[in-house]
Amino acid sequence: MIRLEEVTKVYPDGTEAVRGVTLQVAKGEFCVLLGPSGCGKTTTLKMINRLIPLSSGRITVDGVDIYKVDPNDLRRGIGYAIQEIGLFPHMTVGENIATVPRLLRWPKERIRRRVEELLELVGLVPPEEFSKKYPAELSGGQRQRVGVARALGADPPILLMDEPFGAIDPITRERLQDEFLRIQAEIKKTIVFVTHDINEAVKLGDRIALMREGRLVQYATPAELLAHPKDGFVRDFVGADRTLKALRLLRVREVMEEKPPTVEASKPLAEARERLERLGVNFLPVVDREGRFLGWLNRTNLRPEGRVAEVMTPYSVLATPDTPLNEALSLMFESAVGNLAVVDGEGRLRGLLTFRRLHEVLRESYREEGQG
Amino acid sequence: MRRRIVFLVLLGTFIGLAIWITGIGKLGIYSTFTGQDLLRETGVHLKYVGLGELIAIVVGVSLGVVVSRPWAQRTRLSTVVVGAAGMGQCIPSMALIALMAPILGFGLWAVVVALFVYGLLPILRNTYAGFRSIDPAIIEAAQGMGMSRGQIVRRIELPLARPVIMAGIRTSTVVNVGTAALAVLVGGAGLGRIILTGVLSRQPLITLQGAAPTAALAIVLDFLLDALEDRLTPKGLKVKKSQA
Ligand SMILES: Nc1ncnc2c1ncn2[C@@H]1O[C@H](COP(=O)(O)OP(=O)(O)O)[C@@H](O)[C@H]1O
Ligand SMILES: [Mg+2]
Repeated sequence: MIRLEEVTKVYPDGTEAVRGVTLQVAKGEFCVLLGPSGCGKTTTLKMINRLIPLSSGRITVDGVDIYKVDPNDLRRGIGYAIQEIGLFPHMTVGENIATVPRLLRWPKERIRRRVEELLELVGLVPPEEFSKKYPAELSGGQRQRVGVARALGADPPILLMDEPFGAIDPITRERLQDEFLRIQAEIKKTIVFVTHDINEAVKLGDRIALMREGRLVQYATPAELLAHPKDGFVRDFVGADRTLKALRLLRVREVMEEKPPTVEASKPLAEARERLERLGVNFLPVVDREGRFLGWLNRTNLRPEGRVAEVMTPYSVLATPDTPLNEALSLMFESAVGNLAVVDGEGRLRGLLTFRRLHEVLRESYREEGQG
Repeated sequence: MRRRIVFLVLLGTFIGLAIWITGIGKLGIYSTFTGQDLLRETGVHLKYVGLGELIAIVVGVSLGVVVSRPWAQRTRLSTVVVGAAGMGQCIPSMALIALMAPILGFGLWAVVVALFVYGLLPILRNTYAGFRSIDPAIIEAAQGMGMSRGQIVRRIELPLARPVIMAGIRTSTVVNVGTAALAVLVGGAGLGRIILTGVLSRQPLITLQGAAPTAALAIVLDFLLDALEDRLTPKGLKVKKSQA
């Protein structure tokens, strides 16, 4: 656990970079320091591993004041990754990753195994091949992966990361973020992560510490921060498209209509027409005998004779219960019928996402905002 | 390849000249130096250059490391030290050697110390430049992972600055092969003695008998140190970016 108590930093030139920040990051928690450029995020982060000395206040790691331990011992127990990466160009990828284990004098064999394990974890496979390469032989994204692997070198319980995905192209960045979330689910580190990108913060963080001019303005979960911004600054920073950002926090399962009416592919069309009319709808999802989703029956395609399977429109897009709502929304625009079928891993229809339902959810969040 | 050909042609010319003149033997009332003389003086010459360089390398690299520390840059110590070393090189080499003799006595040490002062600047300046050219993010990462100052210098900074430092050593050595010929002015020996004999006796061939091996020595050392520089450049700094 990391605790900052009334932490302040005044640089020798008089710049008050951090002013009385108090904040606690629980074990295994992913804390994001968020805020505009120059608000003191990097300074705060570097005070935790003593790269920058505090002016006043106290920082403890697992209850121990960081000034009670040798700075190099402290740093060997805290992973550190930065935007510029700072890979050692004269060392191979393997040697780079082995930096802290070597400082800790791990046996050779253990280091070799650890390097391979980490290369696999960050997706640089085959590890024997990547281990021997030099940083100059890697792409930007690959280098950033090595940077993360190096920070994880000696399996430190804590990770400090300063905009580690900041300097890479958006597509690679998204992928690295996704992978990092997967890694974090596996390794459960206590993480302090700096970014100025609200989307990255919302995507990665368990909690977001929003900073402005050296002060901590709000410390909350992403959902709280978006739903109840504490003041005008937070509201502005979070941005106008807040509703869309809120959507990515919700999953399809939370808003879909469960057990929707369906029609079986083998049924005669006459029966299907009756069902459409009774329900007063223009579309029905078509399923097979086991309840697997096949496509849509459109009222305008009905014929007097035949079976549902002959006139049904096969589906083009699908969602799962875990799809974030913002993605589901764009899928809905692609869907032929405007509604989105939600299927499970076996392809069985679990629910429907409709514009009406989505509209209700949005209205609810607006109402909450009005009260907040 | 072209460099190699130039190197061999030049070296062949100078060694050929030396051998030819040595073979002449008599020049009027004078006689040329024997092959044995030539080898002995070349050895002495090398000893001067070697000792002077050794001290210059130890002092230059150490000073270079010190003045590239952040505190030295903040306090402008770097500017002062690099400037002072520059002054050493502004004194004409002949005057410098001549000035050393009254202080250190005539002989070996006056020569070696003068060569040290003269060879210091390129090494110091290149060490300083080599350290300063290292990306600060690399140092920050090393510090952030818990490397001590000494470990950062030895494992990160020195290897990264090594090619530039080696280039400084090469410049310094080549210049000092020429400067060492002045040793004869303060009672020293070396190839300068042969050159001076030629000058005093007005026998250009004898002068050439000393100058040709001096040039050959400079060329050989330049070539060897260039190869060493390449050998000592970390492999990771030589690889080409091979994929996107
Ligand atoms: N070494 C320094 N000396 C003086 N001022 C600094 C120094 N480093 C950062 N600052 C200032 O402190 C403030 C916070 O900087 P920083 O922590 O880097 O912000 P962020 O990471 O949020 O962009 C800025 O105003 C910056 O100009
Ligand atoms: Mg920053």
